[in-house]
Amino acid sequence: MRDVAVIGLGVHPWGKFDGKSVTQLCREAIVAALSDAGVQWREIQAIAAASSRFSGGKGWGLNGNDVIEDMGPTGAPVYNLSAGCAAGGNAFNVGYSLVAGGLYDIVLVVGGEKMPKGFIQMSGVEEESDPEYVRQVCVGMPGPAFWGMLCMRRMADYGTTEEQLAKIAVKAHHAGQHNPNARFRQRFTVEEVLKSRVVSWPLRLYEICPVSDGAAAVVLCSADIARRRTTKPVWVASSTVATAAFNDGIPRGLATVVPPGRTEHSEATTAVKKAFEQAGIGPRDVSLIELQDNTVYYELAFPEEWGFCQPGEAEMLVERGDTVPTGRLPINPSGGFLCFGEATTAMGVWQVCELAWQLRGEAGARQVPNAKVGLGQTLGLGSNATAVILKR
Amino acid sequence: MTTNRVPVIQNLFAETAQGPRLLGSQCAACGAPYFPKSPVCHNPDCREPQIEEAAFGPRGTLWSFAVQYYAPPAPVKYDEPFVPFAIGVVDLPEGLRVLGRLRVDDLRKIKIGMAVELVIDRLCRGADGSEVTTWKFRPV
Repeated sequence: MRDVAVIGLGVHPWGKFDGKSVTQLCREAIVAALSDAGVQWREIQAIAAASSRFSGGKGWGLNGNDVIEDMGPTGAPVYNLSAGCAAGGNAFNVGYSLVAGGLYDIVLVVGGEKMPKGFIQMSGVEEESDPEYVRQVCVGMPGPAFWGMLCMRRMADYGTTEEQLAKIAVKAHHAGQHNPNARFRQRFTVEEVLKSRVVSWPLRLYEICPVSDGAAAVVLCSADIARRRTTKPVWVASSTVATAAFNDGIPRGLATVVPPGRTEHSEATTAVKKAFEQAGIGPRDVSLIELQDNTVYYELAFPEEWGFCQPGEAEMLVERGDTVPTGRLPINPSGGFLCFGEATTAMGVWQVCELAWQLRGEAGARQVPNAKVGLGQTLGLGSNATAVILKR
Repeated sequence: MTTNRVPVIQNLFAETAQGPRLLGSQCAACGAPYFPKSPVCHNPDCREPQIEEAAFGPRGTLWSFAVQYYAPPAPVKYDEPFVPFAIGVVDLPEGLRVLGRLRVDDLRKIKIGMAVELVIDRLCRGADGSEVTTWKFRPV
């Protein structure tokens, strides 16, 4: 395997852009990434694109083909990757693998999304053979209720308080207010978060992420090219993809098996632990984490499932201020999904941009001091997860 | 006048002589339970799967829950006007962790770890005036 560098970063700000197509959002992100890398569109040898079911892609998730038609057909191969909300991370892994494996020297990874309004809807399939349809018809558990249920269990296990949950949202917005690409940059107090309406008890409106439009792109290349093109390469220490274990206890459908051990998001744990193993580093070496905070709950559950602290200790990380950008273990200094809103398939690519800006020391007011190693993670429908570790 | 009761989906649950049950399947080799029924065993470590029909319930323990405070999008079913409802995750002694709405008088009295039992109950009114039913759990 060859060393792979990230040399170009581009983000279209997150928000609602009714007048723009997803391909236009992607174009702006790509143009920024190419410019940042000093690479011409013609030089891109392959494209790995996160595939959306919500927008563009000719209705088939062919978003990479939309991009290449728009940027100018060069004959370059396109890989359209579908993995729910993990698709951006999945596309990054494929782009990385193509360069690491020596198939191509310069690859573009892109993810863009224009989301329908409201919380993420079901597939639209209304057949009794569709497990998700059966689950929603018989019981009815939209995403926020699923997160609420997991959070409720944590509160029972460890005594997590409503104030602690609110503090995570406050922390996110305190960091995100400085991010020009973030959509929700207002600051909140704990009291304001606690006064926001309950969506799915125990979670409130400001404690879950809404949906947004946005796009991100990165240029990856081999070490030889990185040395010629840039003085500030960021290196991919590892990039992984995983799915869930059979008996991890998370009820993703109507039912699952009662697990032999603790209940955990095994797809994310596997992806992160494989990423540590392949990079030859551990939690102690990580300068910052960009994790998928669809809800504040994940900022408690994930760090301990990945070995950053013991079970039940994550609340203390929050209380002590360890997770702020200048803390001992900064989590989501970007502001995270809470400040951006989820542009589902773009998130994994956007995380790479955020991590790389931090490692370059270009993150402005949200900069993590002396950031050397960054961990990114996504989680998607169908028990998909990805992890990436970047280093200076 | 008796209202016609219609299960929201056929063959998922039944009122048996022993009481309400969820209709699933279970692997006789590794013990993995499935609901709804699975024709195959999904345990990757099960060497000689042997799937049999199984009826689950009625008793279980509440593993966790959430309360739905906004009217959820289709195809979730409820009577108008929308009233918040609780969704439970229940561990059954057969090794099945299963979702189900909770039938409680007071949402504040739901406690993780409490004993619950299956009940076939009203989900919503059907288009033809019938009562559409589903399985729920209620405190024992």
